[in-house]
Amino acid sequence: MPEAAPLQLAWEFIRIGLISFGAANLPEMERVLVTLRGWIDARTLASGLALGQLMPGPNLLAVTHYGYAIQGLGGALIATAAFYVPTSALSAGVARLWDRHRANTWVNALRSALLPFGAGVMLASTLVLARTSLHGWTDLLITAVAFGLLWYAKVNSAVVVLGAAVLGVLLSL
Amino acid sequence: MTRPSPAPTPGGLFVAFVQVALSGIGGGLPAHTRRLLGDRGWITDEDYAETFTLASLTPGPNAVNLAAVLGMRLGGVAGAVCAVGGILLPGLIVMLAVSAVTVGQGAALPGWVQGALRGAACAAVAVMLTAALPVLRVGVNVRGGVVVAALTFLALGVLRLDLLPVLLAAVGVGLLIHRPRAASGTGAAGVPDA
Repeated sequence: MPEAAPLQLAWEFIRIGLISFGAANLPEMERVLVTLRGWIDARTLASGLALGQLMPGPNLLAVTHYGYAIQGLGGALIATAAFYVPTSALSAGVARLWDRHRANTWVNALRSALLPFGAGVMLASTLVLARTSLHGWTDLLITAVAFGLLWYAKVNSAVVVLGAAVLGVLLSL
Repeated sequence: MTRPSPAPTPGGLFVAFVQVALSGIGGGLPAHTRRLLGDRGWITDEDYAETFTLASLTPGPNAVNLAAVLGMRLGGVAGAVCAVGGILLPGLIVMLAVSAVTVGQGAALPGWVQGALRGAACAAVAVMLTAALPVLRVGVNVRGGVVVAALTFLALGVLRLDLLPVLLAAVGVGLLIHRPRAASGTGAAGVPDA
């Protein structure tokens, strides 16, 4: 595996963060980290994603894993900061501008234009997640029961997710 | 419905988002954010719909952007830093520990772990849906919202088109419908700001 200079590592993860919308820009991560730079192999790319799914927090903590695979602890911290700091700062900045210009009629128009779009994105994300996560009637049933507990019985979501995880363990035995 | 809670402080935001992270094993972080902050009485459904949309429009992972936007709104720069730190820290610690063990081994996950993941993922779909419904309610209240939301859903969820062109088209149509007019009372179903 080729050596990565810290600055180069930071730059690539800043770039990957700034061209990801919504979730992981997986094709781009593969192109840069595996093909172009040769810093990690395809197996590390896949296992990082699987571990990210398991972590408490965003799935894209996979970038922490990649950073570690490339340069140990320092690499992990550089990759994580490079990926999350610029994107978070940009979001917070946009939010501040938005609130400052709330009275502007065009900003109001933009808000009315964006809200239905946001609703469509949410529904589409639910569908994509369902397609990747649900395989067969058992899974669908677990989802339906979980929805009932969350929506009608107002059970805490962490309790529902952990309960479903325990059920998954029992079903796998 | 909501029990009275103290107003958000940077420290309070940090704790809230650590909780969001801990609930979010298997995904659905934005949904957990809505529930945990809504229960504290810090945000309304309208706030959530608006901030979620802003967070989705800017590059980077939605859940972390949402933490940044809500942190900024509720507690300024310190609030944003604490919210983002809170949502990242638990997973970061676990991921560093796991990476130290697994890097260079390429071990497959044991069967019971895969089972737990599968169960958690099923529940995550339900959590996602509970977050989508309030946003949908706010979105379809806007004039022309039903059509724009439905077309956005089809384009992204069914046809799997790129987000950027869909965004530009949806917002273009929306701006056309809601363009400011000289006369007052355009009939746009504006949600009153809290």
